[in-house]
Amino acid sequence: MTDFLYPFIDADERDAGPLLEDLAASAAAKASDTLSLRAATRASVGASLRRLADDMADRFTAGGRLLTFGNGGSATDAASAAALFRAPPGDDAGPSRPLPARSLVADEAVLTALANDVGFELVFSRQVIAHGRATDIALGVSTSGNSANVVRALAEARSRGMLTVGFAGYDGGEMAGAGLHHCIVVPSSSVHRIQETQAALLYDLWQEVQARVGQAA
Amino acid sequence: MPGPPTPWRTRGRGLVCTGTEGAQRLGTLGLDLAAAAFALARRFAAGATLWCWSPEWPHHAQHIAVEFVHPVIVGKRALPAEAVEGADVTAVLRSLAVPGDVLAAVAPASDGHVASLLRRASAWGVTTMWVGAGRRPATGAADHVLWLDAPEAAWSGDLVLAYHVLWELTHVCFEHPGLLREEACTDEVCITCSDQARLGEVISLEDAGLATVRTASGAESVETTLVGPVQAGDLLLLHAGTAIGRVDG
Repeated sequence: MTDFLYPFIDADERDAGPLLEDLAASAAAKASDTLSLRAATRASVGASLRRLADDMADRFTAGGRLLTFGNGGSATDAASAAALFRAPPGDDAGPSRPLPARSLVADEAVLTALANDVGFELVFSRQVIAHGRATDIALGVSTSGNSANVVRALAEARSRGMLTVGFAGYDGGEMAGAGLHHCIVVPSSSVHRIQETQAALLYDLWQEVQARVGQAA
Repeated sequence: MPGPPTPWRTRGRGLVCTGTEGAQRLGTLGLDLAAAAFALARRFAAGATLWCWSPEWPHHAQHIAVEFVHPVIVGKRALPAEAVEGADVTAVLRSLAVPGDVLAAVAPASDGHVASLLRRASAWGVTTMWVGAGRRPATGAADHVLWLDAPEAAWSGDLVLAYHVLWELTHVCFEHPGLLREEACTDEVCITCSDQARLGEVISLEDAGLATVRTASGAESVETTLVGPVQAGDLLLLHAGTAIGRVDG
């Protein structure tokens, strides 16, 4: 991709200056891409995100808990969302209200036991069976929307009366047609830009939920 | 196909960003990411492992590691990176890290434990990166400080963007093999060998006034009379086989 800029690409290249300049420009271009995608997605899913926040606030108020899950980078984004809801950072507006939330990828013994014994497709759905109550919220993250274990867990959660939430990229994949209560799609085909935008939307969602549940009693 | 015009121009001692929304959001972070990615690629090319640690946000450390181990873009090489955690990460890394490795810590600037371990890692010959948001760490707290000013960046996706870009830029560097070779050490110019003080960590005590210390170039015996009694774990400033000062660990 950068050959046109650097005709001397070979083992004898010595001056790193042009490369560093190109890298910095590339960083700026990627940041611009993600900010544009974030703005466009906020515009298209804003109303959906607020309806989702209404439903989640109702669940939390009724004693429900948030269970999050995903694979790879999405596993860490799901864990980040759970950590944000559970132990929110303080800010100028004062402490936020901690809400019960946990990630289903946190326990390696449970994860490997299930993967080894019943298969990786079931690692989250079996935990939903073990932990899920009808008042709870299941939130799955998948950039493709097709992660089998995430889709399976959301279907299991739905059958148990839980609120089901999917965060997907591309065109929403299987998640979009899985009959979820809420499916938030980031319309991009770049895994990284999708994840960055999902993180921004999960942060928006947390703020919206906080605005609805009020301070702890 | 040429991309958009470069949103950078030269001013004073280096490049500053202008123009695009992304350049404005990153500020100096764009240049810092470029320098960090280049350093990281050079270390990987020489056989390094990237250690990732985030005491407060372990998901960020794991996310960085998985990017390098299992690239999202098919065909990019898998690189050794690992998220570390536990009650005593200093002991974990003392055991695992070798000179030439890289440690990326993701934490607020207020985390004294991180500041301390980064200093110690430096004594071990490990290149250090401090990634975070909000108030910046003190100058010199790490070899590379990758920082976003808004405190909420740790949650809002901007920090994820920063380390995604670090991964992407590191792989661009692999397209420039001529720049990835580390220069050979010569007596005249090499900092490690030159007339400068270096950091070392005391491993064990020898006879009176002598200790074995771990430095970027391995274990060595040093004279400790000038700094008084030392114990295992102390960080010392070394010069010509002699400890000439102490550094808070």
